[in-house]
Amino acid sequence: MADTKTPPVIVLKQLKKRFGIGDAEHYALDGINLTIQKGEFIAIMGPSGCGKTTLLNVLGLLDSHIEGDYELDGKSIAYLSAKRQARIRSQQIGFVFQSFNLVSRLNVIDNVALPLIYKGMAQLARQKKASAMLKSFHLGEREFYMPNQLSGGQTQRVAIARALVNDPAIILADEPTGNLDSRASHIIMEELSDLHKHGNTIIMVTHNPDLTTYASRVITMLDGQIDTDTFRLPTQQKTDSKKPLNIESKPKIDVKAAIKKKLKQ
Amino acid sequence: MKILFANHIHIARQSIASSRMRSILTMLGVTIGVASITTILALSAGANKIVVDQINSLGGNIAVIRPGASTEGTLSGIAELPIGQQYTASTLSNVDITAIENIEHVQAVAPLMILGGSVSGDSEGSPRTPIVVTTPNLQQISNLELSDGQFLDPDLKGATAVIGPQLSIDLYGTDQSIGKTVTVKGQPFTIIGILKRTNMPINYNMVDFDNTVIVDLEDGRALIQGASQIQQINVQSESVEYLGTMITDINKTLLKNHFGQADFTILSGAEIAQPTSSMFTALAGVSVAIAAISLVVGGIGIMNIMLVSVAERTREIGIRKALGATNGDIISQFLIESLALSIGGGITGYIAGYILAFVISTFLTFDPLFNWEIAGTALVVSLVIGTLFGLYPAIRAARKDPISALRQYD
Repeated sequence: MADTKTPPVIVLKQLKKRFGIGDAEHYALDGINLTIQKGEFIAIMGPSGCGKTTLLNVLGLLDSHIEGDYELDGKSIAYLSAKRQARIRSQQIGFVFQSFNLVSRLNVIDNVALPLIYKGMAQLARQKKASAMLKSFHLGEREFYMPNQLSGGQTQRVAIARALVNDPAIILADEPTGNLDSRASHIIMEELSDLHKHGNTIIMVTHNPDLTTYASRVITMLDGQIDTDTFRLPTQQKTDSKKPLNIESKPKIDVKAAIKKKLKQ
Repeated sequence: MKILFANHIHIARQSIASSRMRSILTMLGVTIGVASITTILALSAGANKIVVDQINSLGGNIAVIRPGASTEGTLSGIAELPIGQQYTASTLSNVDITAIENIEHVQAVAPLMILGGSVSGDSEGSPRTPIVVTTPNLQQISNLELSDGQFLDPDLKGATAVIGPQLSIDLYGTDQSIGKTVTVKGQPFTIIGILKRTNMPINYNMVDFDNTVIVDLEDGRALIQGASQIQQINVQSESVEYLGTMITDINKTLLKNHFGQADFTILSGAEIAQPTSSMFTALAGVSVAIAAISLVVGGIGIMNIMLVSVAERTREIGIRKALGATNGDIISQFLIESLALSIGGGITGYIAGYILAFVISTFLTFDPLFNWEIAGTALVVSLVIGTLFGLYPAIRAARKDPISALRQYD
């Protein structure tokens, strides 16, 4: 998948992100070089504080105070105004958070319709689209529930529906299963891998090594730098195992590719 | 853009509905301010209108001469205690009246002496009943209409009086009191006429004709030992075009009589209404200033509640930004919310203000006035309050960093 002809979606060159000044200065991201092709499903792993979430925030244009270069669709974001960045968030990027981040005083359908507001879509069209999206996540009967009336898995599915309602090319998921039990986790992962099959680029931060089995590429980070970057073969086994995976099963890492990669570096 | 605006209104409605009690209380602050401004403006406009209408109905050929030099500016005139002037002797005298009567183009002259004193009939009248001492010409100049009997007539023998309908009722229990004897300052007068009810206590003669007794100049002078205490001289010119020359001539004549001292004021047209209307304007101005303070307090209430709302919804702001809201979207969202609060308060305040004005007007003799200026003022005031006090919280909301906003738990 890495050697497709289409230009990469995301190119990071010597990306640095600094927090604090003077003595407290500290690089959360310390020179990251990364090229992400369209249609990749990337799992980013690493210990707490290694800069995974910071990287995701930078990729999602929530944080544009960076050093180095970030090209999104071939264009450097350094020259984009705040307004243009907001439009890119609205039209090309979908966020899924660990803590779901639904607006608690809006019901499910209004939450899902929320991104469409900033696209300038009319009320009725928004509701229709949000409703259709919820149906595809089997949440059709939950449209008028409030977020606190849903289970964790359902809430996260609503959040994914919201992330997808704008048909974004890139989905950024920050520990989407961090607050869920393993059963709900695998349901969510199945949803994400379905999206992947439809051609979306997915970048997911996770702590759980089991979940990397769904990814086409696994990146581990350490101290603000990329530690390992492993391509996996195009997902072959997932079509026949749609049920939750055995917890015992080891993540299937493509050792050959990993070694090749290491040697190249 | 239009759709986005409709959405902001929708969002504002949702968030106001979700904290209804708080929103209503915040609106109440603005409501009280706008209501008091509306009441004051409606009543003062109503009072002004009465005087202006009277002047207009006079036909424009009336000049009024008052003792004392004209005071400069409105506020200084108000600040002066009127009592001082009441005890000074009037600078206008009978000589002046005779002199004015002989001026060219003068059609009619009516001096006005207003005395205080006891008035009684079958029962005792209020000690504050004005006793108007004048000449028969007053009827013509001031358009006084009679409901019964006749006005003063120099040919009639004996002491005669015309009384207002309300005074008649107060003294005799009926407005049919012709032929009865009214005692004014101890002297008996025969009632020969009853005035028609005017319901206009505010007028340029500064007398409530509904509640007065009018006696002839000769008889009236006897009541105060032959002295003259002329408060006002009404002069009617033959027609409107002669008014200007007539006033110039009167001015010349009076200056000559008064040895060059301009110790009198000649007013015509809208100037006649000015002492009364300027007093109302100044009063209304002061009350509006006080009401404006309550509006500012209401505005601070809006700002306060919007700041709370922004703090409460930090996480929501973060989510909205992550989902593609621009800073402008966030500003509009919160600004429209504060505008909804202030305009909601403004509309209820406008309605409440008119209800209050009508309630108050039942104790007064004039009705509040409806005009678009007052509605416009109420709307503009609430718009300004909403924008002024909503802008800072809205900008604060938009400036929030999405990452830290998302990290905040609610």
